[in-house]
Amino acid sequence: MALPQASILFAAGVMLAASAAWAQGVATVVSPPKPPDGAEALDLTLSPECRVPGSKLYTLAKLQAVKLALKDKRPVRVLAVGSSSAGLGASATYPVKLETALERSLPEVDVVVESRGMQGEIASGAAERLRNMVAEVEPDLVIWQVGTHDALARVDLDAFGSALDDTVKWIKSHAIDVVLVNPLYTASLADDEYYTSIVRKVQEVATREGVPLVQRYEAMRFLSARSEKGEGHMLGSQFRLNDLGLRCMAEHVTRAITLSLLQPDPASTGSSGTPAVVIVPPKDAAMKAASPPPPSTEP
Amino acid sequence: MREPNAIDFWRGLALVTIFVNHIPGNTFERYTYSQYGISDAAELFVFLAGWSIGIATRGRDGTPEPRLKTVLRLLSRTIEVYRAQITTMAIALAMIAGTALLLDNPLLLEWHNAGGFFADPIQTMVGFVLLTHQLGFFNILPLYVVLLGIAPVFVLLARVSRVAALGLSFALYACSLVFEWNIPSWPGEGDWFFDPFCWQLLLVLGFVAQDWNRRSAWMRLWSTRLVPLGIVLVITGIVLSVWEIRPDPLMVPEPRLIFTFDKTYLSPARLIHFLGVLLAFQTLYAVLAPRLGPVVGYLAGLGRNSLAVFSVGSILSLAGQLVRFWTGGGVFVDLFVVGSGLFALGFTAWFVEWRSRKPRSSSPPV
Repeated sequence: MALPQASILFAAGVMLAASAAWAQGVATVVSPPKPPDGAEALDLTLSPECRVPGSKLYTLAKLQAVKLALKDKRPVRVLAVGSSSAGLGASATYPVKLETALERSLPEVDVVVESRGMQGEIASGAAERLRNMVAEVEPDLVIWQVGTHDALARVDLDAFGSALDDTVKWIKSHAIDVVLVNPLYTASLADDEYYTSIVRKVQEVATREGVPLVQRYEAMRFLSARSEKGEGHMLGSQFRLNDLGLRCMAEHVTRAITLSLLQPDPASTGSSGTPAVVIVPPKDAAMKAASPPPPSTEP
Repeated sequence: MREPNAIDFWRGLALVTIFVNHIPGNTFERYTYSQYGISDAAELFVFLAGWSIGIATRGRDGTPEPRLKTVLRLLSRTIEVYRAQITTMAIALAMIAGTALLLDNPLLLEWHNAGGFFADPIQTMVGFVLLTHQLGFFNILPLYVVLLGIAPVFVLLARVSRVAALGLSFALYACSLVFEWNIPSWPGEGDWFFDPFCWQLLLVLGFVAQDWNRRSAWMRLWSTRLVPLGIVLVITGIVLSVWEIRPDPLMVPEPRLIFTFDKTYLSPARLIHFLGVLLAFQTLYAVLAPRLGPVVGYLAGLGRNSLAVFSVGSILSLAGQLVRFWTGGGVFVDLFVVGSGLFALGFTAWFVEWRSRKPRSSSPPV
């Protein structure tokens, strides 16, 4: 049992006000100006247990609908869909954490997270279900954890890819933002070619459609390399990693969204004089100075 | 044991279809009729459940049994179905957790809606017993529990006036569509996968249709005359589903559920399509029965023991999913999974009937 450790980590995760200030301090004091051996610095705005380099964590893209909501000063409605999205109740579940983390990251903004789980639909069936969910919730932003059920059902890669692509296109066509989250990393699937192609497919669609991607897979792989204890089968090192991954997901997703909101508007319409940077919490400034330029979209 | 009949036959077919469709991604999925229409086996299953209530609550000559007996009969069935749901869910969760441990693979814990149970067991355990936490594919029996629970109202009302029962049922359906009434999921957000307030209409339709079909020559005449209409609806359904043509839920006018194709709320398109299927296939059993040989006996056997077969089928389709994931799938794995599943369903039906035939010995000394 790693209970004391877990509770410390959990406390670290929850007490973000303190943690943010602390992280800021660390960013200026501890981290080297240039990471050694080309290794990328960890993203120090994340709580210690969840720290991964930015390039392992996300690819960024613009989030117009959320920006618009922020500009209009209305609450941001978020629809979180996916396998960890059900189970609201305890304060520690992903949707609750997501709402808390987003509100912390976007002070003075009311974020409303609605979460929905899929109930067995895959590929085009999931696409249809998602459309009905979007119609029901009418969100500004959809955060879609996608690929798990399709991977479990060993759905044909192209069928999965095209259904996902169509759905992302459809969501965008209704001026709603999308953030994709790819499935988890676990050692027993690291060499499963099919599984890694599903993960890659999500990435491919995100790149093609120009939507932000949270690389849950890469982030967890990075975390697993740090915390490998070589415990045996059935004893649960992979399950502990999974718990950690779940705890960190809300933070990781929030980070990708916050940074995506900072993306400059290429076609500045001129009417909106002030950039959306207003919404950015101060801690980002420290982080930006310390960490390398925006990560490339390549894996 | 009763002889094979149309109701048991179609119910058996619905059970087989549900079993195959609950192994998503498998090769044989595309050979089930669910892939070629707007409605699927769930509609058939619920409608036939209503029809069966009609048969069960009346004597052979059509005289209704005493009211109290009907209420108790439905109550007892509700309890049976509830017990089946709790048992199958518990086994399913253990199968998912066990396989995750065995394969050292936490991905499985995120299996359709199971994640909540493993991440958040305190609330979810309560939701599990209250039926408000449902796993993907394990959401039909909770619907059935509620439907049987409210069935006495409709059954007794129909004895006074069938039109009143149907009217009440339709009014509830229409209100639920317009106001999006549903039972909430808990823990977790969202609502039940099958909205009982909408799906009750099919149960009541089944129940009333059985009664009308039995006593009204006019009804029988018109249902045969409308066969061409049914065929047109079935063909429309095939076209729409093969080309995946469906309304964009964000483009349709309010109230949206009237226009979208939504399984949760049994949207009108699904209902109309199902009625079309019913009209088109109503006489088919008489044509098929002499030609299908042992298949008729097999399917009717499944239909006679639908609850046991459905429960075992749910467990087996989950096992099938796990086997497919573990082995990587493929046609031969699918053939094995579906083939052994169909055999096991047949065995289940036979076994249940064997048990009920076997004279019970008085309780043996412990």
